Amino acid sequence: MRAVRAVRRGFTSLALTLILLGSGAGLMALKSEVDRIPRQKIPGASVIYIPSGKFLKYATLGYSSLAADLIYLWAIQYYSTYTVVDRFQNLEHIFSIIAELDPRYTDPYEVGALIAAYEARDLNLAYKILDLGLAKNPDQWLFPFEAGHYAQMAKDYETAKRFYGKAMRIPGAPEIVKRLYAAAGFKTMDLKTAWEMWLEVRDTAADERTRKIADNHLYQVKSAVDIGVIRAALAQFRTRYHHLPVGLEELERVRILAPVPRDLDGRDYLYDPQKGEVSPPSIWWKR
Amino acid sequence: MKIAAIAVNTFREGIRDRILYLPFFFAVVAVVFARVLAILTVGDRVKIIKDVGLASISLFGMLIAVLIGTGLVYKEIDKKTIYTLLAKPIERWQFLLGKFLGLVLILFVLTAAMALVFLAVVLAHTSTIDGRLVLAVTFIFLELVLVTAVAMLFSCFSTPILSSVFTLSFYIIGHFSWGLQTLIENSRPGPARVALRALYAVLPDLENFNYKTDAVYGLKILPQYYAFSALYGLAYTLFVLALAVLIFKKRDFV
Amino acid sequence: MVTVLKVEDLHKTFASGFIPKKRPILKGVSFSVNSGEIFGFLGPNGAGKTTTLKCALGLIFPDRGKIEIFGRHHLDAGAKRRVGYLPEQPYFYDYLTASEFLDFYGQLFLMKKGERKEKAAALLRQVGLERAADLPLRKFSRGMLQRVGLAQALINDPDLVLLDEPLGGLDPLGRKELRDIIARLKQEGKTVFLCSHILQDIEMICDRVAIVAGGRVVSQGALQDLISEKVLYTEVTLSGLAEEDLIDLGEPVSVRSDRILIKVFQESNVETLLDLVRERRGRVHSLVPRTETLEDIFVEIVNRS
Repeated sequence: MRAVRAVRRGFTSLALTLILLGSGAGLMALKSEVDRIPRQKIPGASVIYIPSGKFLKYATLGYSSLAADLIYLWAIQYYSTYTVVDRFQNLEHIFSIIAELDPRYTDPYEVGALIAAYEARDLNLAYKILDLGLAKNPDQWLFPFEAGHYAQMAKDYETAKRFYGKAMRIPGAPEIVKRLYAAAGFKTMDLKTAWEMWLEVRDTAADERTRKIADNHLYQVKSAVDIGVIRAALAQFRTRYHHLPVGLEELERVRILAPVPRDLDGRDYLYDPQKGEVSPPSIWWKR
Repeated sequence: MKIAAIAVNTFREGIRDRILYLPFFFAVVAVVFARVLAILTVGDRVKIIKDVGLASISLFGMLIAVLIGTGLVYKEIDKKTIYTLLAKPIERWQFLLGKFLGLVLILFVLTAAMALVFLAVVLAHTSTIDGRLVLAVTFIFLELVLVTAVAMLFSCFSTPILSSVFTLSFYIIGHFSWGLQTLIENSRPGPARVALRALYAVLPDLENFNYKTDAVYGLKILPQYYAFSALYGLAYTLFVLALAVLIFKKRDFV
Repeated sequence: MVTVLKVEDLHKTFASGFIPKKRPILKGVSFSVNSGEIFGFLGPNGAGKTTTLKCALGLIFPDRGKIEIFGRHHLDAGAKRRVGYLPEQPYFYDYLTASEFLDFYGQLFLMKKGERKEKAAALLRQVGLERAADLPLRKFSRGMLQRVGLAQALINDPDLVLLDEPLGGLDPLGRKELRDIIARLKQEGKTVFLCSHILQDIEMICDRVAIVAGGRVVSQGALQDLISEKVLYTEVTLSGLAEEDLIDLGEPVSVRSDRILIKVFQESNVETLLDLVRERRGRVHSLVPRTETLEDIFVEIVNRS
């Protein structure tokens, strides 16, 4: 009798262990399967459906600046997710929510504007966001300055002049703004000029934030220049050998491009041999 | 002093109740987690740390205030420890005041501990201790004292679950008062407006104690604003306590 | 004869529930307790014993009636200072130790620190808890809680001690100890007021009792006055006789092969029975006269009301 009971007890514990292991393994397998399914959205995307920032401001019960921080953090991840192709649809909406929640938070205005300018290629939206930032923070000369810069790069000299003028009048704006305002009419903003401009802003920066922003812009300019150079070298390689190189170091070996330029931080550029595309290792505004 | 004896006893009883360490632990985790979050952001990292830190102290402090405020008085009534206590030569208001002061002491100790962790993390990142942050935490504490008083008031006549719901409603209403303000501005002058105005005057305005954003941006606040907020907090707390004493005075302990 | 506790025409109705349903509990309770006596307050469950006691302590506010303690209004601080109270099924703070607990209550009487420590230690010794002095109260058994409850009731050396069902839930040894403590309190000149429905213990220690039923005091007086010395019947256990022999003499309660237990209702029949046993060379194993007990009176009075 006792032996039978012992056997039965042993059997139940064995069965339990097997069930535990089985379901645990099943869990993990399923999760990795689900993760492999390509997704349209990333988690947290329901933020898009919030009607307005004003509503959220009440709903967050005094924690509005924290909410602004969290939504901003989410937005950074969201706009870095290149698989979500229509992500720019809600750019204005999301960044206006952040502005409502914490109007004095300067980082989102900048990042929102540059995403609009460089990735969504919607300059008007970039101007809008920067203007909003200036409205809420009248002492920030950097907002109209960047707006002017984007305008000038797009060869919209009227708009550039207007923005430089705004920036000029704000106390604390550096000398270069006045020069740009004067030169906006006739000087094209090529990469070389942009480099010099941001270099000056960085070197005369009164605070760490301005310096960092200028440094990021410098990174972007340098990578634009470098990528252009590398692309030209790749074209040359293809003409000579009728196929793309396996890696960028091949360009060096055959002396088409020696040395291969590195980014502002000294890192190598990323090269995709299948498509022959070059890209910078860091997202410049996220440095 | 009898009130002091009850306060010390309440403190001892409460601080030994390990349930309080849960929100405290989470607050510390949140402040440390702020550091992790800060790495993900583009731009000002310290702002994230300050925002999360202050919000954690406020949120978990609120949790602690509701937990101890609703639990401790109700527990005395439910577990009947109150019988022998009130049979002693002590007035009921002395009992309530003693209990309240004990709760405030617990709250003070836990809030101070959370604040120390928070300020230490900020110190590690900025090498300074901003006096305004300390002020923001102080006013968070004042808000919590008021919430504790309200929680205690409700626990004098209802169960912990109901009391928690009521206290949380008080907190939510307290942060919505500017919605009421908008409503008043948009309404036509008349009896409705007068009623709304009266309501606005009586309902708590907990945004008065919210100096979190100002502290993070280092904005200048005139000392009279601070003074007014402190006085408002004290006055409202006194009002709530008086209400509690009134309700408690003639209660039969079956 | 000083009246220590006087209750006059106490009324209390409870209204409970969302749509208040009135429940009258006390419908005119009156009694008085004299100095130096052990007074028993008896009644069936729900009669209003605890309610009366709580009214006296200011835990419940009566609708009508007067309560005086030591000649003063019962809510007077001076009155409360001389009273000690042990509630039914006491429960105390989980996280305090016994010493901390007594020290805390001592503070409420504004006792000085040294005095408090002495008194607490002495009381713990008196109730047999000196080894558990530093144990947190949540680790106390029911009996231990009862004892520490008694200790806190005596912390201020009260002249009037109010005990609500103090003997409930104690084992026989515990009950004996408590009875002894109560007797000792009387010796010290204190007055003890005892609510209970365990009549055997009341009978053993009380001087005067009041029986409350249906919200009123239906009987009040000295125990010896209430219970007559009259013998109701005599229980005899004997052997050596057959059941048939005993038919006229009494009522057999249990009949076994070797002995018979019989209730004899008349004194004279007891004599006859003893003669019969001697005659037949039987044996009497026990002879117990059963007098009227408090239980008999109690049941009779309560059923009458």
